[in-house]
Formats: sequence, C-alpha cells, structure tokens
Amino acid sequence: MSVPGITEPKDLIVRARAGDTQAWGELYREYAPAIFRFCRRAMPTREDAEDATMEIFMKLREKLGQFDPSRSFSAWLYKVAANHCWDLLRRRKARHDKDMEDVEEIPLEAPEPNQLERLIEERSSEEVRKALNTLGTRARMALVMRYYSDMSYDEIADALGVRRPFVGVVLLRARHDLRQALQGSGALAVGGTQ
Amino acid sequence: MSDQQPAKHLDEFTLLMYVERQLDRDAAQEVSLHTQTCTRCLTLLRALDRESRLLTRSMLEEDEPLPLKLSQFHEKVKRSLGWIWGVVFGLAALGVYALYTGYIEPWQNQLEQAGFGGTNLLSLMVFQSAFWKGWQSMFSLVEFVALSCVAGFGVFAIRRYLRRGTALAVMFASLGLLASFATPASAAEFRKSESVTVGKEEIIKSDLYATAEHIRIEGTVEGDFFGFGTSVEISGHVAGDVICFCQSLRISGQIDGNLRSMANNITITGTIDRSASTFTEMFTIDPTGKIGRNLTSFAKSLTIDGSLGRDLLAMFAKGTINGSIGGSLSARGENLTINGGASIGGPAKFEGDNPADVSSNAKLASPLEYKKLEHKSHNARGSGYYVWTVIWTAAYVLFGLVLLSLLPGFSREASQNVENVGASFGLGVLVFFAVPIAAVIACITVVGLFVGLTTVFLWYASLYFAQIIVGATVGQWILGRAADTWGLIGRMVIGICILRATMAVPYLGMWIKFGVIIWGVGALSLAIYRRLQPTLAPNIPSVPMTPASAPSAPLPPNTTVGGY
Repeated sequence: MSVPGITEPKDLIVRARAGDTQAWGELYREYAPAIFRFCRRAMPTREDAEDATMEIFMKLREKLGQFDPSRSFSAWLYKVAANHCWDLLRRRKARHDKDMEDVEEIPLEAPEPNQLERLIEERSSEEVRKALNTLGTRARMALVMRYYSDMSYDEIADALGVRRPFVGVVLLRARHDLRQALQGSGALAVGGTQ
Repeated sequence: MSDQQPAKHLDEFTLLMYVERQLDRDAAQEVSLHTQTCTRCLTLLRALDRESRLLTRSMLEEDEPLPLKLSQFHEKVKRSLGWIWGVVFGLAALGVYALYTGYIEPWQNQLEQAGFGGTNLLSLMVFQSAFWKGWQSMFSLVEFVALSCVAGFGVFAIRRYLRRGTALAVMFASLGLLASFATPASAAEFRKSESVTVGKEEIIKSDLYATAEHIRIEGTVEGDFFGFGTSVEISGHVAGDVICFCQSLRISGQIDGNLRSMANNITITGTIDRSASTFTEMFTIDPTGKIGRNLTSFAKSLTIDGSLGRDLLAMFAKGTINGSIGGSLSARGENLTINGGASIGGPAKFEGDNPADVSSNAKLASPLEYKKLEHKSHNARGSGYYVWTVIWTAAYVLFGLVLLSLLPGFSREASQNVENVGASFGLGVLVFFAVPIAAVIACITVVGLFVGLTTVFLWYASLYFAQIIVGATVGQWILGRAADTWGLIGRMVIGICILRATMAVPYLGMWIKFGVIIWGVGALSLAIYRRLQPTLAPNIPSVPMTPASAPSAPLPPNTTVGGY
C-alpha cells in the first residue's frame, strides 16, 4: 500500500520523529493531499473531511514516535486515518444511522453480468464518487479502505471492528449499494443466479 | 474456452473473493476451471474486476485541490504554539492565585480558627472522621478502590472488543481470579421494620444498619451504627461511630466513636468520646451530656449545658452556652448568650448580628472577640469585584485552554451537544441535582467514600467545564464553526468573555450562570453518554456461497491465488 506518486521519504520520517519541525512540515505537505482525499471519500461532507484531515495529522504528530520505521509509512498513515475516520463516523452512526442494520438483513441477489458490464462502461468516475456519497457509513468506509488505500482484509477488519471473514460480505454489499445508487434501486437485482 | 454451460453458476461472492485474491488455492482452482467453461460466470468475473478498477480510479482522481485551510494548517499550528504556552502559564499562575485566595485560604483560616490547625480538609475528613477505620481496614478499602479503578479502565479500554467471545471470556476469567483473591467483606447486620430495638442484653458484634420508624439501642453495638428513622434513641453502648439521619435523636448512652447526623433535633445526655458533626434545627447538650473532642454544628438553636472537650465551630440563629468548652469557640449567628455557669478554655470569637450577651460570671480564657456580621448586598460592588471578575475570566480561559488542548475531540462533541438544547437542558437538570445526591449516598458507606468524594469533585469540576463548553459554542455562533482545536480555543475565549460579562449583571446574571451551568453540564453528560455507548455490533448475515466442485485443472495464466 502506498500513496500514488510518492516514494517513502525515510529520511524525512526519521527527522520528523526526532522532532525536526521542518521535516514534519515537509511530511505534511507530502501526505496531506492524499489523506485529505481519503477523508473526502470517507466522510460525508467537505468540512468533515477538512476537520478529519487536521485531526489525523495532529494525532500523527503525537503518535509518530510509535511508528516502526521498518514498515511502510503510507500503510501506517492510512491505518491511522481509517481508524480516525471510522471512529468519527461510528459515533455519529450510533446517533443517527440505525437504518443500516435493517437493510443488511435483506438477502442479496447476484447481478446480471452483461447489465453490470454495461453499467460500468456507462458510468464516469464523477458519477461513481457521487454515488459513493449516498452510501451508508460502513459501506463507504469499506470501499474507501479497500479501493483507495489498498488496505488488506485484516486491516479493514481491525478498523471496522468486524471479523475478517465478514469483510468480503461488507464489500459485496457495499458494491450492491453502489450499483443501486448508480442505476436506481433494484435495477441490477434481477436475474440472480446460483 | 468452450461454450459449454455448467448446470450451476458460481455465486457473486465467490467470484468477488477470487478477484480480490482472498480464496485459498483449491477454491481458486475451482473458480478458474469453472470460468473456463462458463461464459456467464466469466463475464461476471470480468465485470467485478472492472468494477474494482473503476472504484480505484474514481477515488484516486484528484477532483479537488487541497483546501487553503489545510495548506496553511501546519504553519498555523507552528505559529500558534510559540505564544500560546506563554499565555497558558501566565493564566495558570493567575488561576492558581485566584483559587488559593478565593477558596483555599478562607477554608484554611476557618479550620485553623476551629482548632484544626496543621491539618487540611481532606486529612480531617479521612483520618479524623467517622469513616476512618484504622489502617488495616483502610488498606482493604484502598485495594478495593484500586481494583475497581483498574477494572473500570480495563473495561473502558477494551469496550470495542467486548462483543468478541474471547475478550468476554478473558474478562470474566480475570474477574473470577480477582474475586478469588479478594478479602471477604466484614459482616454487617441489617434490620428493617416498623420498630427496631437492640435489647439491653443484646450484643451486636458487627456494624448495624437499621431502618425503622423508632430505633432504640439499649444493648451494645461493637461496630458502627447507621440509623435511618423518625426517632432514634441510644441508651446503650456503641463502640464505633454513629451516623444517623432522623427526625429526633437522643443519646443517653455511650458512644466511643464519632457522631455524624442530620436530624430535626438532637439531645445529648450521655457521652460521645470523640467528635460530633451535626446539621439540625435544635441541638442540645444537657448538663449530663459530654462530647470528648470537637463539635461542628449548624443549627437554628444551639444549647450547650454539658461539656465539650475541645473546640466548638458553629453557625446558628440562637446560641446559648451554660456548660464548659475545653478549647476555643468560633461561632457565627444572630445571637449568642454565654451564661454565668459557662467556661471556655481557649480563644472565643463570635461574628453576629448582635453583640454576644456574656455574663460577668462566665469563665473565659480571653475576652470574647466580637465582629459585626456584614450582610453583603449583591448590588454593592466595588472596583474589586470587577477586578476579580476579570481575574476569574482569565482563570476560566486558562481552564478552557488546558481542557480543550487535552480533550479536543471530547470538547468538540460536547460543544456540538450544546446546540441540542432540549436534550442538554433535560439531562443537565437531572445530572446537576442527582449526582450530588448519589455521591452523598455513596459516602454513607465506607466502600463508597472514595467513589463519592471523587464523584463530587468531578461534578464540581464539571460546573466549570460546562461554562467553558457553552462559551465555546457561543463563540462559534459569533465567529462561525471552528475547523481546528485552536480555532475552537479562540472562539471559547470570546464566548467565555461574553458569558462572564452577562453573568456580572446584577440579579439576572445569577440566573444566567445557573442556566449556563445546567445547559453545559447536560451537554457534557450527553457527550460522556455517547462515548460510553458500545460500538454497534456488526449485524452481517451470511451471503449464500455455492461450494464449488473439485476439478483439478491448472489455473489460467496471470492468476494469483489467495494473495500469494
């Protein structure tokens, strides 16, 4: 897992860990756009994403000493970001988003392959991003962690607080929700095959 | 690839797991073989793969530049840090000074005047009060409290994982282990009926808790006695302390420990070896009555005809002393009469509405020092009042700085809750009144003393924190929502200044302050409540998976299986 176009700045990380504020600034400038984009995809509004980005970097500054330099900095950074965003979303979810659990009781039907192909061809990236914003918190978070940050199933399970075997189910349901958002409710849930 | 279609297709989940490289080698081989012969499944497999790539592409696309606020964030933080700690330390000094001169020093003076010199309030309450059980018992108490704290922190720390079977198993196993090491609690006897009597020949070898309309102790209680009733009469012997909440309390027997009581009237004709603390309408020590050490009394009418071994600290409407006080007298009230038969061994001070009426036959170690009681008017505010308002505002700002810096997330949540006016006010009223009551009840039991005192302390601190949180919200109403902690701190400062200014308005300010406290306490409680809510357990049903058959053909080229 790595931030696209960024090679791991090992020296910068070491200096930032030692308290070099200039190095920290450079590190921030390097990674802030990617983390902001991550938060923008994961959080419901732009303001939330901005707040989350700042909080993540404040947290990061405190936690940088805990980072193991032998591992990937980007992976660690995304893990911190994912945990923070999910923590924020989870707290809101506890207050507002109770409907999601009911929806997940509905059994899934497999899509018609050709119809799915057509849908993927017809939809632009922008439309996908807009559809993402309409998803429930867990569905969106799972997709962002997997397809933006390239986090492993173990890491996703850890962040979302679910058992590893369920990560695939969460992702599958998230994709179904996304398709529904892209094409209108139930459009692809026809002709299911087993 | 052949056009031959198998009777059964693979389900979407299996295909997705294949695309995601989450299948083990055998299962992946089955999928691989199946898709060589099944066009439909192969199309779905490709569609899922393309969907993954579309998702990644859509998310990675840079559609928005980094907001200006974020571009400047690092510089802003760096700039802020330089001066902010100077301000913090400056305000800290001011706050500590305000706290000392406003609260600690007056208390210290009061206690010294009452003969408790060299001690502080905490040591007074812990080591000299009815709650002090000797070192052995207190060590057990400390152990219990420590274990409770550790357990509480443990549960809080692992609350996210509590739904997992293993975590629960570990927790219950640990509790079982702790329970097996725990010291068994000392025995206590509980009696509850319309009338409770400990007969003359009866000896209770433990603590006694009694609840009844009429309670009579004619025999012996070797532990402490806790009484709740309409009338309580102790004519026997209590070797420990007496803690009593009743309408009428009469002590004609012997108490080896202390007396702590809230009652309508208390009459002592017997002996209390140690000290007494009472809140009553009428308090009387008859000529035969005796208290070995100190008496702290808040009463409408106080009469001492018997003897008090050491000091008297009292507030009353009418006080009459005919007996002897071995130590000093420090009293405040409307009228004080010291009759001819009275004797006071130490210095005597009275602050009251009228000068004390002291008989010339009374034996006083030194002349009574009288000071006219000043009833401060709320409107009489000199320049000092406004100076102190400014100093206290600074102290609030300091407190807010520290809290918002230490607990930015929590403060932000609490500040958001303030805008939920109905819930915050409702909960605020409940917490404001219920928590102190619960804490006092907790203090009644020995085990609950620490918990009760801690609760009272936290409750008291929350009254200040509440004003800070409401201040932060007021600031945000004026300057707009804060994006970061420092922004929130800035808004808090402005809000606090506004609130403190409105609270300085005569009469109305008092109500504004009360309202703000209730509001803020509610918002804080709401934030704590939401934090303690467990993570919603994932309620994920299983997706039907068709077990693939087990053909053993090679995988298609460029296929990675199971993440390898």
